[in-house]
Amino acid sequence: MTAKDMISIMFNLTVLYLIGGLILAGVYAKTSPIMYQNELKEKQEALKEVMPQADEMVKLGEWAPHHKHAEYFEGERGAEKLGYVVQGFGKGYSSYINLFVAVDKDFVVRNVKILHHAETPGLGDEIMNESFTDQFKGKTLDHLVVVKRETDKDIQAITGATISSRAVTEGVREGVKMIMEKMSGEVKE
Amino acid sequence: MIKQRSNWELIKNGIFGENTIFRMAISLCPSIAVTTGIRNAFYMGIAVIFVQVMVNVSVSAIRKIIHPRIRIPIFMLIIAGWVSVIDMTMAAFARPAYKEIGLYIQLIVAFASIFARAEVFASKNKMTSSAMDGLGMGIGFLVALVLIGFFRELLGKGALWGMPIIHSKPMLIMIMPTGGFFAVGFLMAFFNWIDIKFFGGKGASGV
Repeated sequence: MTAKDMISIMFNLTVLYLIGGLILAGVYAKTSPIMYQNELKEKQEALKEVMPQADEMVKLGEWAPHHKHAEYFEGERGAEKLGYVVQGFGKGYSSYINLFVAVDKDFVVRNVKILHHAETPGLGDEIMNESFTDQFKGKTLDHLVVVKRETDKDIQAITGATISSRAVTEGVREGVKMIMEKMSGEVKE
Repeated sequence: MIKQRSNWELIKNGIFGENTIFRMAISLCPSIAVTTGIRNAFYMGIAVIFVQVMVNVSVSAIRKIIHPRIRIPIFMLIIAGWVSVIDMTMAAFARPAYKEIGLYIQLIVAFASIFARAEVFASKNKMTSSAMDGLGMGIGFLVALVLIGFFRELLGKGALWGMPIIHSKPMLIMIMPTGGFFAVGFLMAFFNWIDIKFFGGKGASGV
């Protein structure tokens, strides 16, 4: 390799990295505020969706299921306290499943919403279906267990996605357990 | 110098003659990973068309000033750059689709088909021909993915584009990676059969 080659290579790479960097910086500057807004909006919408009756969500605190950052909220309508919304995580087949669970004041599950997951497309992603998440409605802590047969009392696993089903249930159960402990510990007025 | 071909011939070549999946049998990994439904396959195809065209044009534009010794790292750089562009754009403007196939968009970087066209075609041809070649290859890829997705979603989930067609799962195996190989294999055999029977071709293996 001659000196001329080396200069030519150096020149090629420098120019290309500069142009590439400029293009990427431009696209990032245009898209990142939109991405951030999207994520914020999605979280707000999800909060509203799990507890549609509430007109205000008050953030109560943070906790760390599976060492992840999660929050919990209290839903209020006027002065009335409706219940709690807890963000939970469950360890699935190929990802951590991030979800919201809404409970009323007696800690009965009212709603479950999956925020994010990366389970097997076509199998594990059926946890997003309402036919699965609706099963959680009206369940108390004791009945948040997965079974593989037809059931009304417990949670029925999805065919071919037992691990993902278990993960969602675990995330919900831990969330409910956490909020129960927190709230019975801090005796309310 | 390669014989000059018309734009239409170049596009047709990408869709039929050198179809990435059914004829060249490269980039088979994405053809299995994203084809669990037609919708995912379609969005993936669109992203690939964009990357393939942009990469071909960029490589063709700078083909005379690149030092031959570093052409491969430079191709990689160009591909990675354009993939990042489509990745960020889809994350911002096509959020619902991105949520499902976002993981695989970044994997376009490693697609053999895009790299192969840059090396085989774009680095030796004019910009317009390269753009047409990229367009043809991209469309061919999209068509192949949607076809595979059609069979897998219909047989594995009983649905099309996310809408239930039949209320059962006739062949659960089709939705799993195993089923992806089946679908690709059968479709490839089918296209070979057509080629040999009606066009007097030799099939993908060329023997």
